[in-house]
Amino acid sequence: MRRSISAVAVMAGLALTLTACSSGDDTSSDDSSTAAAGDGSTLTIWVDETRQDAVEAAAEDFTAETGTKVETVLKNYDDIRTDFISQVPTGKGPDITVGAHDWLGELTKNGVVAPIELGDLADEFEDVSVQAFTQDGQVYGLPYAVENIGLIRNTALAADAPTTWDDMIAAGQAAGTQYPVLIQTGEEGDPYTYYPLQTSFGAPVFEQNDDGSYNSTLALGGANGEAFAGWLAEQGAAGTLDTAITYDIALEAFKNGQSPFIIGGPWMLDSFEGLDLAVSAIPSAGGQDAQPFAGVQGFYVSAQSQNALLANDFLLNYMSTEDAQLALYEAGHRVPALTAAADTASADPVTAGFREVGANAVPMPSIPEMASVWTYWGVTEAAAITGAQDPTAAWQKMVTDIQGAIGG
Amino acid sequence: MPTPESTAVAPRKRRGRDLSHARDFRPGFLVKLVLVALIDAFGIYGILAAWNQEAWGILTSMVVLLAVTNWVYFAKKALPLKYVLPGLVFLLVYQVYVMAYTGYVAFTNYGDGHNSTKSQAVEALLVQNERRVEGTESYQLTVVGSGDELGFAVLDADGDVRVGTAEQPLEEVDATVDAGQVTAVPGFDVLDRTTVLERQDEVTSLRVPISDDPNDGSIRTQDARTGYVSESTLHYDADADTLTDSTTGTVYSPNDHGQFEAEDGSTLAVGWRVFVGGENFTTAFTDSRYAAPFWKILVWTFAFAIGSVATTFLLGLFLAVVFNDVRLRGRKVYRTLLILPYAIPGFLGALLWAGMLNRKFGFINEVILGGANIGWLTDPVLAKLAVLGVNLWLGFPYMFLICTGALQSLPGDVMEAAKIDGASPWRAFRSVTMPLLLVSTTPLLISSFAFNFNNFTLIYMLTGGGPRFSDASVPLGHTDILISMVYNIAGVDGNSQKNYGLASALSIMIFVIVGGISALAFRKTRQLEELN
Amino acid sequence: MSATTPDHSRLSAGRWVRELGWRHLIGVIFVIYAAFPLIYLVSASLSSGGTLTGSNSLFTDVTGSNFSTLFDTTKFWTWLGNSLIISVASSVGAMLLGAAAAYAFSRFRFRGRRSSLTGLLIIQMFPQMLAFVAIFLLLLGLGEVFPALGLNGKLGLIAVYLGGALGSNTFLMYGFFNTIPRELDEAAKIDGATHAQIYWTIILRLVAPILAVVTLLAFISTFGEFIVARIVLPAESSWTVAVGLYSLVSDQLAANWGVFAAGAVIAAVPVLALFLFLQKYIVGGLTAGSVKG
Repeated sequence: MRRSISAVAVMAGLALTLTACSSGDDTSSDDSSTAAAGDGSTLTIWVDETRQDAVEAAAEDFTAETGTKVETVLKNYDDIRTDFISQVPTGKGPDITVGAHDWLGELTKNGVVAPIELGDLADEFEDVSVQAFTQDGQVYGLPYAVENIGLIRNTALAADAPTTWDDMIAAGQAAGTQYPVLIQTGEEGDPYTYYPLQTSFGAPVFEQNDDGSYNSTLALGGANGEAFAGWLAEQGAAGTLDTAITYDIALEAFKNGQSPFIIGGPWMLDSFEGLDLAVSAIPSAGGQDAQPFAGVQGFYVSAQSQNALLANDFLLNYMSTEDAQLALYEAGHRVPALTAAADTASADPVTAGFREVGANAVPMPSIPEMASVWTYWGVTEAAAITGAQDPTAAWQKMVTDIQGAIGG
Repeated sequence: MPTPESTAVAPRKRRGRDLSHARDFRPGFLVKLVLVALIDAFGIYGILAAWNQEAWGILTSMVVLLAVTNWVYFAKKALPLKYVLPGLVFLLVYQVYVMAYTGYVAFTNYGDGHNSTKSQAVEALLVQNERRVEGTESYQLTVVGSGDELGFAVLDADGDVRVGTAEQPLEEVDATVDAGQVTAVPGFDVLDRTTVLERQDEVTSLRVPISDDPNDGSIRTQDARTGYVSESTLHYDADADTLTDSTTGTVYSPNDHGQFEAEDGSTLAVGWRVFVGGENFTTAFTDSRYAAPFWKILVWTFAFAIGSVATTFLLGLFLAVVFNDVRLRGRKVYRTLLILPYAIPGFLGALLWAGMLNRKFGFINEVILGGANIGWLTDPVLAKLAVLGVNLWLGFPYMFLICTGALQSLPGDVMEAAKIDGASPWRAFRSVTMPLLLVSTTPLLISSFAFNFNNFTLIYMLTGGGPRFSDASVPLGHTDILISMVYNIAGVDGNSQKNYGLASALSIMIFVIVGGISALAFRKTRQLEELN
Repeated sequence: MSATTPDHSRLSAGRWVRELGWRHLIGVIFVIYAAFPLIYLVSASLSSGGTLTGSNSLFTDVTGSNFSTLFDTTKFWTWLGNSLIISVASSVGAMLLGAAAAYAFSRFRFRGRRSSLTGLLIIQMFPQMLAFVAIFLLLLGLGEVFPALGLNGKLGLIAVYLGGALGSNTFLMYGFFNTIPRELDEAAKIDGATHAQIYWTIILRLVAPILAVVTLLAFISTFGEFIVARIVLPAESSWTVAVGLYSLVSDQLAANWGVFAAGAVIAAVPVLALFLFLQKYIVGGLTAGSVKG
């Protein structure tokens, strides 16, 4: 017993010295924490790898002019949405994050994102980009890029842009390559890439309100949707569509000149260096306009940011400049959202091509119900293509199932 | 390096030397004293720091852990705990906490739309419902101060300057303007940027009415450079705890489910986390769409978990026995190469195989089978076999390692005895090696079963649960296991709106199933052990 | 080891085939089985193309460009360093904590011994679905009290990994400890040794093979772990190799399989090296003598 008493005394002494030593460390670490405001404060921004350098470049200007440090935290793009939603309420989330416009419904529903007043700046951006970040008349993000898919053509294999699906298949066969056209599909389907083909049959996914926003009434069923499903089955039987073609395989095959056409977006371009490319509208398969989804990339401000003023200042006055938007363009080849920057970037015919196709694109729905649609949709498309199920019946069942998932 | 002789002899030699140590308690005790003193120092520092941070949960845990530690190491009674405690502390802090947290979440409605606290929800709703008044102009804005009070000085397109505070609506003043910026305002100080940043919370929450009529809206700024006229359509009454929509007059009050609800039943989008009791546990059983696939998935989950354990163990054991012959040249090389699949991160292995098993372009079909068109991942039966096969590849090195290690522990004299008795190698293996091996490995087989029962990553990366059931109304497939079904129901896989409360409730139920089965299996093992 | 190296010349050819030859055959077959997907990976790391599927002609073009991209554009070596520090610390820690617990369960008889042993294992079976929220909150709180144990600290992650130290590894060691005759410690006890002396000087030396196995298992599992690691270590410079590699392919559209493959190939080396190093402990121990016969 005596031993332990003396031991306690020793420990208490030790503890006090330790406390004294480390309390110094404590305060210094507080200074560097992201929550501290005032001069020398730090703005924390989540970025993914593609965007990191461009954001850091803009941040340098910001730091030079305002003295505010900017810390970019590299995240996996896939993790950002979940992490942002779960970490913002703890007060330890970032001040700003990059993100896509279709997260908007979920972010506002969880109350983790603050509105941004673009003010007169709004007019300097492409309409679709601001529109995409708008919900109930309130803008929630600063857009920097608009992306959509188009028909990428290897001009060495096909000189002219086809206007209809059949033209394209004919041109593809005439080229004598292994595939007339490459469309990434996969065993789970790829409704995003197939969307322009579906809209060419007049079957959009959700109904749109007058102001262009979506409501939760499904529109992909009915005769038009079933006609699209039937067409998928035909093309699958003919071998032009194939679920074995994944993104990887399509990319590799196009790169190797195994097809004159691939349906895809600007993110593919890095893989196609050395090929002579042109981008044109996706040919219509069902007679109507083939409208791809437009996805808008932008920056969100956290609703719990301790540096809201800095965050808005950074976005409104430093990320909305032509230089910053062009730097982001260089990083990902996506068409800038700022009109002036988009005009500059359009000097590149491929970018101009994507931009032209994008003029006809519809924003991807950002309503939370959209999350419930993808899986059913893709799997049903895949089943129609492989012939595993009767296309009409499968499509009808899909519409009922999605309805159940949304309503349930 | 301990050669066989040296290890066998070592204890005996050592014992002689230990005799002297044993009489002298000092060195060992001193080491203990110093270690515990360090831990106590760390603990007391933690307690003080936690007190400073007002982290009461941590403070309480620290006090308890510290008291227990001192008791364990200075009391004579708690001998086993002296050895178990270090690991136990980590277990309690990092694993039991996670369990407890999941248990807590299971009784809440945490998920999309119920993500945070009520005050954050109110804040978010108010912010979302404050908009710029249409058709109003934007102003060059300067933050000014008078004493503690903040105000805005705004410069309009005509070059007029008006200034106001939260209490005082905008009024025209005679201010100095330099290069489009207000630089001096009578009665106010123009705040420099540092001051503005220090008080940025006040700045962004400041609303300066533009006139005496509150319906005209007020000036706000987000960047302290530009001001806009905005108005709120939603107002919070803190006393009544209600939100009122000023355009329609609807009054929303909080309901039991953590949302603001009007009398007609309509709710506001942003809610907060509340306790919902056992609701999550009952809703799990009420969705009839999951009833049909549930049984199929349950059967497959068991088949997959048991099959994975059996195949990986048998192959691992077989290889361990094969390479347990010292006369074999190149044993080291074989063993090292066999560990290869284990040296690669698991998610990569699954992705790699998904590519190689591609129906048309995969290495297996195209190169090995010469252009066959076999739907390894798309045929219901083959997909199941493929999942098991890939898991065998991923998992056998683990079993191989365990068995190689365990084979070393078999007492040599028993083996010798079997050999002298003239038993055939196979018989000796079956009746001597195998039972002894099973005693030490069965618990690992049970935990491997539990691991595979919840092996979401493999299923997700390899097949995504596919091929889909064509007759089910939910996106589930032939290779989905219970845990991936739970992810699907609760939207954690991103296919619907997330409901962490439900997910937690379901994972607790899965835990009860797996834990129960394992506990039963352990009881059986004990009997087996006693038989030996 | 040289003392136990067999003399092949003594075996007749027939006996060689019967007793050893077939083992080589099986060895070759299963080495191919284990390695061929990885040959595919090595080929991808050396190829100029960027995909993993559909490129079935192995080693058609060999370039080091993926490796140079990896070294130039990512912080790969920093990640590898982080991984090594974290994995070594947590595997050694897990081995020590687990061995101590296994000793207690194996040698002392106390109430609830068996059930707490199974309880330990069953706790580890809890589906860690919400771990990401719970661990984040936990480290957030701990970080305010002990900055070193908070987010972005290696120590914090090591501590989280040590939370799993008393799992199946304890069981593995427990089984092994039981095979060490109790007479050994009884004798030592009579000689006056304390339980601590018995543990440190007798038991631990005898169980070296299983300690090596457990260390290796713990090393491998922490080395490849990325789900917890990416929550605890948000900053790029503190990432582990697994988190870094995952980031290279997590965005399917920007996935860079060639660079990823290059990283994966290098990241496999420490694991293999450790195995080679520990192998002599794993198989050099108790039974070498008995098999010799």
